[in-house]
Amino acid sequence: MPDVAPMIRVKVLFFGRLRELLSKAEDHAEIADGATLASLFECYAKKYPQLANFRTSLVASRNQEFAAWDTRLGAGDEIAFLPPVSGG
Amino acid sequence: MSVHVVSESGGQDIVALQQQPIGAAELIRQVRGSEDGAIVTFDGFVRNHSHGRATKYLEYEAYESMALGKMKDIVSQLHERYAIRRVAIVHRLGHLDVGETSVFIAVSAAHRGAAFDACRHAIDILKKTVPIWKKEFFEDGAVWADGELPPAPPGAKSAS
Repeated sequence: MPDVAPMIRVKVLFFGRLRELLSKAEDHAEIADGATLASLFECYAKKYPQLANFRTSLVASRNQEFAAWDTRLGAGDEIAFLPPVSGG
Repeated sequence: MSVHVVSESGGQDIVALQQQPIGAAELIRQVRGSEDGAIVTFDGFVRNHSHGRATKYLEYEAYESMALGKMKDIVSQLHERYAIRRVAIVHRLGHLDVGETSVFIAVSAAHRGAAFDACRHAIDILKKTVPIWKKEFFEDGAVWADGELPPAPPGAKSAS
């Protein structure tokens, strides 16, 4: 057996303009165990080039808490990339 | 959807996201108690213009589970910082016409100062940290409102 990094599965949510841009509200991603929020975003930016411009105007969340881009993902995490909020 | 949280003072606070119109009078009644001397409310409603354009209506969406969590965090902060008794924070989702209430906050306290300060703090923090988004619809198009980017926690510098 080759030595391959184990993969984990995470749920990814999109809201507002990101949901419209990707035409989806929810996705599931398979990514190497130990990957960060930043690397997960890079995967999506490769798949959807229109996302790349948004990186600096987004904040990420992990399991319903705001999280730094270098946060490591765990199996079953619920991740979201959030545009600037405009409630009120 | 409606969520109730028990505050540190033992009273019951209200945090909710809902599609149906917000009943302000009922919320005021729920935070009002005989030990209070004041209730301060904030009624945020849909303006008929935005950046010089005539607004037709708004659509709000939320990351509901996280938004409710952040709204509960605001309630906890208010109890830590201010001498208040009860808080209600309700945000509406979906289609809202001009003039309809999008967010309603009520804070009760023994004295007015704490109620004013806490109510102001609640709406300011809500607008910065609660994952809710609004899209503005005009006669000739629609845009997602400019928002505020919530502050992200500092990155973990230590290795794994």
